[in-house]
Amino acid sequence: MPESMMQPDLQDVATLNGVQAAALARWQERGWPGAEDEAWRFTRLASLDKLSLRPADANLANGTGNLSAHALPAGAHVIRFHNGMLVANSLENMPTGISARLVDEDDLGAIVDLAPANHPVTDLSVAAMTSGLALDAVAGATVTTPIILMFTGNSGSVSTHPVVLLRVAKGAQAVIAEWHSASVGLSAPVMAIDIADNARLDYAKIQQDSATTTHLAATGIKMGEAAVLDGFQLSIGGCLARLEAHVMLAAESADCRLSAIYLGRRNQHHDITTNMTHARGHCQSNQVIRGVLDGAARGVFQGKVHVAQDAQKTDGQQMSRALLLSRKAEADAKPELEIYADDVICAHGATVGELDETQLFYLTSRGISPEVARAMLIAAFLDDAVDMIENADLSALLRPHVTAWMLAQEGSVNA
Amino acid sequence: MTPLLEIKDLHASVGDTPILKGINLTINHGEIHAIMGPNGSGKSTMSYVLSGRDGYEVTGGDVLMNGQSILEMEADERARAGMFLAFQYPVELPGVAGMSFLRAAVNARRLDKGEDEIDQLEFVKMVRAKAKDLSIDDEMLKRAVNVGFSGGEKKRYEILQMALLEPQLAVLDETDSGLDVDALKIVSEGVNMLRDANRSMLVITHYQRLLNHIVPDYVHILANGKIRRSGGKELALEVEESGYAGIDDAA
Ligand SMILES: Nc1ncnc2c1ncn2[C@@H]1O[C@H](COP(=O)(O)OP(=O)(O)O)[C@@H](O)[C@H]1O
Ligand SMILES: [Mg+2]
Repeated sequence: MPESMMQPDLQDVATLNGVQAAALARWQERGWPGAEDEAWRFTRLASLDKLSLRPADANLANGTGNLSAHALPAGAHVIRFHNGMLVANSLENMPTGISARLVDEDDLGAIVDLAPANHPVTDLSVAAMTSGLALDAVAGATVTTPIILMFTGNSGSVSTHPVVLLRVAKGAQAVIAEWHSASVGLSAPVMAIDIADNARLDYAKIQQDSATTTHLAATGIKMGEAAVLDGFQLSIGGCLARLEAHVMLAAESADCRLSAIYLGRRNQHHDITTNMTHARGHCQSNQVIRGVLDGAARGVFQGKVHVAQDAQKTDGQQMSRALLLSRKAEADAKPELEIYADDVICAHGATVGELDETQLFYLTSRGISPEVARAMLIAAFLDDAVDMIENADLSALLRPHVTAWMLAQEGSVNA
Repeated sequence: MTPLLEIKDLHASVGDTPILKGINLTINHGEIHAIMGPNGSGKSTMSYVLSGRDGYEVTGGDVLMNGQSILEMEADERARAGMFLAFQYPVELPGVAGMSFLRAAVNARRLDKGEDEIDQLEFVKMVRAKAKDLSIDDEMLKRAVNVGFSGGEKKRYEILQMALLEPQLAVLDETDSGLDVDALKIVSEGVNMLRDANRSMLVITHYQRLLNHIVPDYVHILANGKIRRSGGKELALEVEESGYAGIDDAA
């Protein structure tokens, strides 16, 4: 086992076999990314050195955690994970057209195929899986009831490794949100998503873990022919968070929108890393990333768009903008285009800026307080991204978090 | 009666450069004063110093509103106390919806006075009525603040804000610049409707033309950071004829 930090105690899971044993072997071989790992250049895990964590077990499944005060969409079906453990009775009464059950060995194989490969979170969380859930939207079903995967937790000494397989079969439609509101040592969810031909997934992730939680997510998405993903990630909580999503556009005419907002203050560190692979032609991808950083927060956006030689007529767009509210805040962006086809439209850009003094003066000269003026300009800045969400329930779920963040006091707004 | 505004030997700098070099001006309630002067004489600087913009440092003198110094007040506090600046170059706010902007401004003032926030429907009605007087249509009201507005539309939108905020002192900075004859008429009529015994105005202009429409009680010539001459409305005509050349020495 390499010498690396934050090494969860894996004694209990060391007797695995099959897919999990293979994942454990890979994890033990590589461990956490080291200082030389380019993919983790902006997000170092060294500060977590001192944590000694153990994967959560069934003893911690009791208790239900607190549901956040923010309203859930009317009629939403909530599937609960507490300290990484699935709350079994939340699988009862699933909406028609979608089934939920615990993963089996075949599912685990599918998860490893879909999730980011050679990735420490994929390998560790599959090996140390606290609960595994398989969700299947059956072919042709249109499930408009939002399904909320609610992750709570209250044990700072554990790591949580929920693993979810989500398959939207041919022609099916589903609306799924991941809502992380846990206080644990490490939250390391794996999401493996397969959107089959002509299927559509509306997906949102809200990362709102406690200020002491490290959140490292590995999300893998595969899209079939003419499949649609309308996806959004909001990273707002945690002390250190990396939301890494890899998308494989595996057949023609798939349409992927995967936008994100990160909001940081104090010493928070948010990392949005995406890997968009256009393997076939005539696909579109569009990513609108907005970050707002206050205090001494740091934001990272790494976005790779890979266009394979066969992927003619690709339209790949990516735009990242960060707004710094404090002189101690810092934003890094690493957009990368790797294009091997010749007939493509691809654009990417990254900017880092501050609030415009002239705009602020215009607002305050009308009697609007500087605090409200700032909030108005920040909201305007973020709207480009928030407006990307097409599903009204997911939009309504997400917007209050953005508003609440702006209204929360920050001692160092002007620092 | 205490004058509405007293500017006393006002000196101000931008960075290390002194721009205003000892301005004295008293404006009583209900009066309209015009400030004329060549480009670069310090007219916009004076408007920013009065309205409290950061970066415009007062290095001497005082500004009193209703007998109280306002120099320690922030821009938003001055605005809520009755100061209004119509910008020479109104600022575009992409993504900020016009109606929410107008409502935020009106409510900021109401809350300050201990009143409730304005009723949404009542507000929309009020804006529509005042917008109509300025030939501002609904489509323009729906846009983001000043985004995609023509030069004339921006100026009319400034006057709409003034009409909604009902200031005690309105500083209009080159509200005539970039306007054709028709737009100038609309804007001037809008301003004239707001003339009131309790409202004073400081009308900044480069050209005499505007003062045919908004007839001032007094005219002051600003050159090189100082008021060099003051007089009645005839002074504007005189300057129009002879130009600003040589005015520096006339003080
Ligand atoms: N932000 C600024 N930084 C540096 N110099 C400025 C700034 N604003 C104005 N000035 C200078 O101050 C002087 C007066 O400018 P201004 O007040 O805009 O004049 P006016 O409005 O009469 O044309 C000019 O010489 C101008 O170059
Ligand atoms: Mg000017």
